[in-house]
Amino acid sequence: MSTASPATQSQNGSFTAEVFAAHLATQAAAPAWWLERKRAAYAQFAALPMPARTNEGWRFSNIGTLSLDGVAVATPSNLKSQISDFKFKAVAELTFANNTLSSRTALPADLAAKGVIVTTLAEAAVKHADLLKAHFMAQPQKLGSEKFAALHIAFVGDGAFIYVPKGVTVTDPIVVTHLASGAGTAVFPHTLVVAEENSRATVVDYFVSADASAHFACGANDLYAGHGAQLTYVAAQNWSPTTLSFQFNSTVVRRDARVQSLNLHLGARQARHESLSQLQAPGAFSEMLALTVAMGAQEFDQRTLQIHQAPNTKSDLLYKNALRDTARTIFSGLIVVDPDAQKTDAYQSNRNLMLSDDAEANSLPGLEIQANDVRCTHGATSSRIDPEQEFYLQSRGIAKAAADELLTFGFFEEVLNRLENEPLHDALRELIKTKF
Amino acid sequence: MKLPSETLSPAADETVMENPTVGIDQTKGDFQYKVDYAFDAGTGLTEDTVRYISSVKKEAPWILEFRLNALKKFFSMPMPTHWATKDLENIDFQKIRYYLSQGQKPKRTWDEVPDDIKKTFERLGIPEQERKFLAGVEAQFDSEAAYSNIKDIVAKQGVIFVNSTEGLREHPELFRKFFGKVIPTGDNKFSALNSAVFSGGSFIYVPKGVKVTQPLQAYFRINAENFGQFERTLIIADEGAEVVYMEGCTAPKFSTSTLHSAVVELVALKGAKIQYITVQNWANNVFNLVTKRGIAHEDAEIKWIDCNIGSRLTMKYPGVVLKGERARGEVISIALANDGQHQDTGAKMIHAANNTTSNIVAKSISVGQGRSTYRGVVHIPKHLKGCKNNTECDALLINTNSRTDTYPAITVRGDQNATQHEASVSKVNEEMIFYMQQRGLTEGQAMSLAVNGFINDLARQFPMEYSVELKRLIDLEMEGSVG
Amino acid sequence: MASLEIQNLQISIGDKPIVKGLSLTIRSGEVHAIMGPNGTGKSTLAKAIAGHPDYTITGGDVLLDGKSVLEMETDERARAGLFLAFQYPSEIPGVTIANFLRAALQARLAEGEEIDASAYYKRLYAKMDLLKIDRKFTSRAVNDGFSGGEKKRCEILQMAMLEPKFALMDETDSGLDIDALRIVAEGVNAQRGSAISPGILLITHYQRLLDYIIPDHVHVMWDGRIVKSGDKSLALELEAKGYDWVKQEFAAASA
Repeated sequence: MSTASPATQSQNGSFTAEVFAAHLATQAAAPAWWLERKRAAYAQFAALPMPARTNEGWRFSNIGTLSLDGVAVATPSNLKSQISDFKFKAVAELTFANNTLSSRTALPADLAAKGVIVTTLAEAAVKHADLLKAHFMAQPQKLGSEKFAALHIAFVGDGAFIYVPKGVTVTDPIVVTHLASGAGTAVFPHTLVVAEENSRATVVDYFVSADASAHFACGANDLYAGHGAQLTYVAAQNWSPTTLSFQFNSTVVRRDARVQSLNLHLGARQARHESLSQLQAPGAFSEMLALTVAMGAQEFDQRTLQIHQAPNTKSDLLYKNALRDTARTIFSGLIVVDPDAQKTDAYQSNRNLMLSDDAEANSLPGLEIQANDVRCTHGATSSRIDPEQEFYLQSRGIAKAAADELLTFGFFEEVLNRLENEPLHDALRELIKTKF
Repeated sequence: MKLPSETLSPAADETVMENPTVGIDQTKGDFQYKVDYAFDAGTGLTEDTVRYISSVKKEAPWILEFRLNALKKFFSMPMPTHWATKDLENIDFQKIRYYLSQGQKPKRTWDEVPDDIKKTFERLGIPEQERKFLAGVEAQFDSEAAYSNIKDIVAKQGVIFVNSTEGLREHPELFRKFFGKVIPTGDNKFSALNSAVFSGGSFIYVPKGVKVTQPLQAYFRINAENFGQFERTLIIADEGAEVVYMEGCTAPKFSTSTLHSAVVELVALKGAKIQYITVQNWANNVFNLVTKRGIAHEDAEIKWIDCNIGSRLTMKYPGVVLKGERARGEVISIALANDGQHQDTGAKMIHAANNTTSNIVAKSISVGQGRSTYRGVVHIPKHLKGCKNNTECDALLINTNSRTDTYPAITVRGDQNATQHEASVSKVNEEMIFYMQQRGLTEGQAMSLAVNGFINDLARQFPMEYSVELKRLIDLEMEGSVG
Repeated sequence: MASLEIQNLQISIGDKPIVKGLSLTIRSGEVHAIMGPNGTGKSTLAKAIAGHPDYTITGGDVLLDGKSVLEMETDERARAGLFLAFQYPSEIPGVTIANFLRAALQARLAEGEEIDASAYYKRLYAKMDLLKIDRKFTSRAVNDGFSGGEKKRCEILQMAMLEPKFALMDETDSGLDIDALRIVAEGVNAQRGSAISPGILLITHYQRLLDYIIPDHVHVMWDGRIVKSGDKSLALELEAKGYDWVKQEFAAASA
């Protein structure tokens, strides 16, 4: 089999050893263990090959366009967040522009007094090293992007560190905005959330380009929900339409904890999203939601893994894609029930709404079940708007295009309705509207 | 023959219950008679093996060329272990016999069949089968068809039902056109292997408009240690023709691995219907790696009914290429995996014309540490209109450590088509078992009934004697699954 | 004359005692009704006697013709002559009534014995006609998609076919309209008057059923025990006065 990559395109692209050394030089203030971690990650990145056509984790993906060439690690920028299209009430905000903290709002005094921490990874590496060591990229990469996850660790500049102590409830969302600006800029956004025993919090990540040029984004988030914690996490990805994006999620759910995550995918020319939920103790529940509006020649490549490692755990996945123009989507999901994880309740659903004759949806909903007393189901459908519904709306005087848009938003609402936070729900809907 | 699914009256239950003697008793497969082979290609696989097979069969040069080309492909292709089980690596191709033959021409009447082979068939119960149910029997004994008979009624309709050697020799103009075209040699490593060393199998041609009212049937057996069986079947149903083909397998049990790797190609021309029914019950040391695919032309229909109970590892994904408008494809799949078994089965539906429809229903049962896997491909490429696929996969897990996997891959392009896939995993309901026990059934009997009930809607699609056999095979498998 | 003796029976679910020492003897041909408010352990009693794995017998004994059944598996008890008509009969997809009953009857025969198929169907149809069950039901899966009334009639059909020595009928009247109730009662009464003449334990919440199946004895159960026994007039009294009356009387007696 011939490989698509020309001789000039090495497996490490722009991320050469020299570039890495230059990056390390900017991290002089970081503790030694952090730098060591980055060095090891770079070595791993450099040693691993780019994904191959025969790699099952990349089945149906366009691997020929995953170029690491022609990009440069972002230099610090002082851009403030000028993003006005995604607004709702936040309790604290952090904005990172090109890998560097550019603005922040202070946490209300009462929450700070209770021990809630909203800060940067750089600060956490010094002040909360134990927590960072325990949770930063600490879970296995099982979905095909070992190389890119290593790249993320090697080059991560700064990111958000959020800690909610035992029994504390943070009602309004904590919002982290990640900005990229400048042609060829490579950014490595990171958000780490630790929700301790019986705490409650909502965290929103917003990824956005400050200009229309092509960026390279390689981000990750680590979510940890301790005993009885309830964590809601929303990621809205709205990079420029020429950006290449990788995003890795790891969710760890402990006893009786519940994590709800919702990923909205709007931007990038090619976006790979990997999401791993580990249900580690009885009563753990992970709700995994995603909405994608795929248009133009965009490719959204979503890979999910729900691992039930303990009895009496629950997971519920609903990924909805609306496809327009010549866009492509890939949904590849796997439910794994470990031996002895009896009484597992796992659900996985992928719904593709086909809005064009040239769009292509690929579904790979998978199950690997090694315990018998379980309730596991999955479903995948691909179809157009129901002509009967379309006709019904038209008969009420609504033009076809408007009817289709209404029905498409109706299709999204099933996912958005799962969010309890109304203003956030509305903000997400408004953000989706910018694509129509 | 009337299918049981059409008869819902109590009388249908009656017949099913009252004819336990039809079908094959699984225990009858567990024996071996000494046979003196006239031709034996020896152990291992080289170009000489292939030349030997071809020369014994007195084949035309193009066939030898086809075989040698396939052998090259086989050697060059890697094992598909990047997605399939590593158990494949345990096959030692150099320890397998690729050809054994009595060197005798197919027999037309029972009297002409050698006595020792007759004994084998008598224990299998084939003559009764034939008398009672079958239009023709193509019973393959090792590599060559030792006994072949087509009832007058089928022959008179112009139906050709021969083995592959005879088909290629006597009717090249008919079979060469489609031979290796539905499943190219290099489709996968095992289709390449089969293309290099094939012998036996059925070649069937049903002329235009002919509807064969009774199922054609063949039994395949493996009867030599380390001896792979590589039959090749090609069925062509000409325009408007209809045919049902059934195959069932039992095999003696041996201590070392055996390999079965068949290639089955079906061609349903305009408006034709082909139904291909398999009950696979190889011994638990057999690697059963089979490629089955059909092409359905305009308004044609191909239906695979595939039941896998035996073997150590089965990898088989019957497919339909829906080539003509309004063509229909269907796969009905039942798999039962017990301790030490992996049933890796599924279906492929390739839509290549407008308004084509496909349907997949797969049910699997995993017992003990058995593992069943469903793999499916549904492909509806660009700019087609009105294509539909419906897929249902249900897995039943009997014991706490039983395993099941589901790996479908569905590609849909455009907004004029619709696909739907659903899968579920469950165990046998404990209240149901208690209920049945309260009526006096033992836990094992209750479990067996529950499992038979789970697949009942599919089992009813089998001809009656097969559904009886299926029920009995499941009863045997479920013995000892509880407690 | 067969007998079913329940001796000081105590039953728990997990660690929780439900039946707390209950004694009762039923003989062939007798109908005993156990009445009582919800949650007093009536259904627990029936399921535990049948051997349901969720229930633990913590004390006492159940003797069938003088022999304890407690060490027997559920199916052994059933073959020994105990029949439970379920309050919520299980649905068994894919298994037809004809095949199911046949398997159940076959399980009662000695090794090598076979059921006479034509006699079997003749008998089955006769029983179905009596219970006004459409003959087409023989090829329907057991209870699968049946209405509440159909399920209950199917239970009585099974009882008629299996001819138990004793039948424990758990809320057989629940979910039945008056016509269905009458049909079910006729089916039970027919068996009562036959040569088989099983002993019957009727578990019910309402007296309504007892208008159709006249009990020889009525027992009131409360908090895991029989607190009052009498003849059929006790049922009428309960109907008139309600269960509070019994509760008060019991509370007064045990105070």
